[in-house]
Amino acid sequence: MKIVGRHDEAPGVRTMRLEFQDAADHEFFKETYRTGMFGLYGVYGEGESTFCVASPETRKDYIECTFRQSGRVTSALANADIGDLITFRGPYGNRFPIEEFHGKNLLFISGGIALPPTRSVIWSCLDQREKFGKVTIVYGARTVADLVYKHELEEWQERSDVDLVLTVDPGGESPDWKNRIGFVPTVLEEAAPSPDNCIAVICGPPIMIKFTLISLKKLGFDESNVYTTLENRMKCGLGKCGRCNVGSVYVCKEGPVFTAAEVARMPASDL
Amino acid sequence: MTKILFSDKLDNCVERWKSAGLTVIGPVQRANISTYAAVEHAAELDLGLILTDRSIKDLFFPQSEPMLRYTIKKESIDTDECLPPSGPRIIFGARPCDSSGMAIDDPLFGWDYKDEYWFQRRNESVIVTIACTKADDFCMCTSLKMAPDSSKGSDVLLRPLAGGKGWVVEEVTDRGREAFKTITDILQESSDTAAPLAVVEKKFDLDSCVTWLQNPENFESRFWKEISMRCIGCASCTFLCPTCHCFDIQDEGDTYTGIRRKNWDSCSFALFTMHTSGHNPRSTQSARWRQRIMHKFNYFPGKFSVNSCSGCGRCSRQCPVDMGITETLQEISKLSQ
Repeated sequence: MKIVGRHDEAPGVRTMRLEFQDAADHEFFKETYRTGMFGLYGVYGEGESTFCVASPETRKDYIECTFRQSGRVTSALANADIGDLITFRGPYGNRFPIEEFHGKNLLFISGGIALPPTRSVIWSCLDQREKFGKVTIVYGARTVADLVYKHELEEWQERSDVDLVLTVDPGGESPDWKNRIGFVPTVLEEAAPSPDNCIAVICGPPIMIKFTLISLKKLGFDESNVYTTLENRMKCGLGKCGRCNVGSVYVCKEGPVFTAAEVARMPASDL
Repeated sequence: MTKILFSDKLDNCVERWKSAGLTVIGPVQRANISTYAAVEHAAELDLGLILTDRSIKDLFFPQSEPMLRYTIKKESIDTDECLPPSGPRIIFGARPCDSSGMAIDDPLFGWDYKDEYWFQRRNESVIVTIACTKADDFCMCTSLKMAPDSSKGSDVLLRPLAGGKGWVVEEVTDRGREAFKTITDILQESSDTAAPLAVVEKKFDLDSCVTWLQNPENFESRFWKEISMRCIGCASCTFLCPTCHCFDIQDEGDTYTGIRRKNWDSCSFALFTMHTSGHNPRSTQSARWRQRIMHKFNYFPGKFSVNSCSGCGRCSRQCPVDMGITETLQEISKLSQ
């Protein structure tokens, strides 16, 4: 795929927009892609890495991905310029059942670099805003600089039909920071969204998910109304290479999207 | 009367198969390691081994194989898919645990996406298995509900005659029958009977082990730490295992040309599951050993209705610190009583 746009979200975090070079490939993507699915992005000579498709199913002219420059592949991706070609395999995995969210209030909770998969669901819903009730987004990062999609955060903050709660970890605030200071689970409990007729979608580092699930339980959310996506290390994406399983569940085939009820049935120490 | 292949005629068979276009492969000694390799003459075959050091898996799922070659040009990238070198072959002298191991992995490689590398080789291979008349302390096929003469995964099963002068021929599949048509006139009718099979002692009760493994409470048992304390994470067990199938995909090359390869990987390695963030779902050696046992006897059978172990015992036989599936399941057997 060709890189047609790229910009930095936070230190070391980059978003790229990719366009298909082959019409048949694009057609296949349009037919199969649903929000929640992931792909393997690669640079020949360096290898492949797994990230979600950060763009929503309502916008299929391109693929957007957001990644942190960390290892060999992500460094090569970060070095790739507009016009360069990179590889994409996918889309793989299951999806968020967005039709089932129609008529419900939505609560999105995300931390740090995990906003991309949440953002894909957020836009899938905001692009057909009339089908959903109240939309609340709780997003936090370690520091103000680490918040990703800053331009979209501004857009959501300005929208009257979106309630955005932003927070940074204590010590991560800048002098002009006007939003919350505190960890995501704490801030979530303070915001206290009602569990009535509400679907929660949470994405974040494993430690954030663990404590956020506890907070959601306190707020009265039923585990079957809470969705998350498990981003395990993967190589094949086809249920063969053997590393992404949590207990008997193959994240690449049966996931990456699970309800909290499904996650609760997985062995916690293997997450 | 049964059909017999006499040992002194084996070289004629090798010649016949070769002239029919088949590559003849069998157990051989190479650089102090016994393995399966192509041979020109029957004399090269080492059919007296209890089991080769390396498993038959190497022939179907090599340690490293190219998946595609790429050439980066100014405006485009050319790629060539690399399928395995094709050609029919006959594997003579596999052991039942190795042959059944390949049948065990068929549903995994055929699940959802059909792995063409695996199935091309499977479809082009005739497996002639020789039943075991000898076993060692590590053999455990009977504990896995198999036997020294299991025909699972075999196209032809040979039962050794007493005195080692030949084999009783049992054709198992059409592919096996087809390959043996070319040597019909070499086979002889005889009333000779097969030698007694190896006695392989039952080492644990599989059903009670599986029940113990399926109990979620036992996932957190102290047992996992104790049993895996010695594991050094070398991955020998997974690499020598006929059914372990985990792999990695890596690129190898320079800026403009190179190869994307599929290489064996192992659940014994910490890097296997390590996230970019540094978080590792299976961060300890005990979690990794638990994964290996759970995968073989709980997760895999849950998906494919077959245990991912054929009882060859290589994991115990060649473990540098004397661990293995046998010891682990023996201990679980005790715990579950």
